[in-house]
Amino acid sequence: MAHLGYDGMAGTTFEKYGGFGIVSKVVMTFYEMVLDSDIVGHHFDHVDMPRLIDHQTKFISSLMGGPASISDERLRAVHAHFDITDAEFDEIVSLLGMALEEHRMDADDIDALARAIDAKRSLIVKRAVA
Amino acid sequence: MSITTLSTINEQLLKSIGVGIAIVRFSDLHFYYHNKAFAEWFGDPASSDVVTEIVDRLREDARTALQDTGRFTTEVQVKPKRRTLVIALTANLAEFEGESVVVVECQNITRMRELEQMIESYSNMVERNTRELEREKERVEKLLLNLMPRSVYEEFKTFGVVTPQLYRNVSVLMLDFVGFTSFAENTDPTVTLGELNDMFTAFDRISEQFGCERIKTIGDAYLAVSGMPEPAPDHASAVANCAVRFIRYLERRNQSHQHKWQARIGLATGTAVGSVVGVQKYVYDVFGPAVNMAARLQVFAQPMKIVAPVDMKFDLIDAFRVTEIGSYDIKGLGQVELVNVEGNLTLAN
Repeated sequence: MAHLGYDGMAGTTFEKYGGFGIVSKVVMTFYEMVLDSDIVGHHFDHVDMPRLIDHQTKFISSLMGGPASISDERLRAVHAHFDITDAEFDEIVSLLGMALEEHRMDADDIDALARAIDAKRSLIVKRAVA
Repeated sequence: MSITTLSTINEQLLKSIGVGIAIVRFSDLHFYYHNKAFAEWFGDPASSDVVTEIVDRLREDARTALQDTGRFTTEVQVKPKRRTLVIALTANLAEFEGESVVVVECQNITRMRELEQMIESYSNMVERNTRELEREKERVEKLLLNLMPRSVYEEFKTFGVVTPQLYRNVSVLMLDFVGFTSFAENTDPTVTLGELNDMFTAFDRISEQFGCERIKTIGDAYLAVSGMPEPAPDHASAVANCAVRFIRYLERRNQSHQHKWQARIGLATGTAVGSVVGVQKYVYDVFGPAVNMAARLQVFAQPMKIVAPVDMKFDLIDAFRVTEIGSYDIKGLGQVELVNVEGNLTLAN
């Protein structure tokens, strides 16, 4: 199941894969992948390490149903000035999928998480026309 | 193994090791040697702006520390690519062929710092969550405390059940409004509710102030007790104090409000049982002779009068005006000697 809001941890991927243990591994892998990416890496050129780690820890935790929640309003606000394209959004989803796969998450669970993120696409990607 | 082979191995080792190594002349900080790891992080010392910048920044502190203790340690951040690297530097002073040199050892502690940062970030989230749960718990507790007295709630929380308790020395107050039914029939229900809410809220405040506990309201009836679940030696005067002030509150309120409310109050002293009733819908309730008596006497009371059995007289006589009104046949109780209770002159406003 996919979670982008905190509504108790029972029955979440967060719990299924062992809580903070999996979050920390995924965050570390994802962090490196994102920075190495030719497509999205440039967005992080001027973001300092503590801030990016904080951001990703919250993102991964909330995604898996851990103790965090990111409101739609916040998602929209933090991404607004990055001019994010669909291609970049897809790249992030794909990198996250790889990171999760690397830490042996089931394909079904990865799909569910990818769908949950995709549901937020309109908040993050900047459209030329509304 | 020849000396030459050994020095070749040493050299290879220095080159390939995951620790950055540089050897610098102490006098003018000229770089004699650096290995591959060092160059990966900082660039070639001969041309690297990063190295120049770090050397300039650390020069004075390092020189002092090396002269004093022969050792200098610090952490620097570099960003050869997008990832910020945190490098721990250790410099040791050494003598080589009569010259002072500084051996600089660099460890990549980026991963450790990143993990620390993540743990901090995560624990902040967990702490915030815990605080939210705490607040939620307080809200639930507050709600339950409206349904039952604190000591009963504590028992309920600890054991999950509440054992009915018999209290031998309690006093009960029962209040009911005169003509409520006809008022309710002829008035908008929200107005009726507003009126009741207003008066009951005032009664609750008075009850709390005088050591009584409101148990429940049933329609327009108001039931409060003193002496349970916490024992109170002055339970009789506690309920009388409330009763007198309820009447006085209504008198004052009637002066400024359109509807003039009149209430009857019955008091009683004796035994009562208190317990939580119900499993899903918890209600703390009281039963017993004292409760029955207060209810009967309330019905018997004239509007704006307080009626109590004569056995409460000696508990009340010092602080209240108690008037014997004779013996009456009270439904279900037989002949009962009764008194009227009123506030006396010493009563504070």
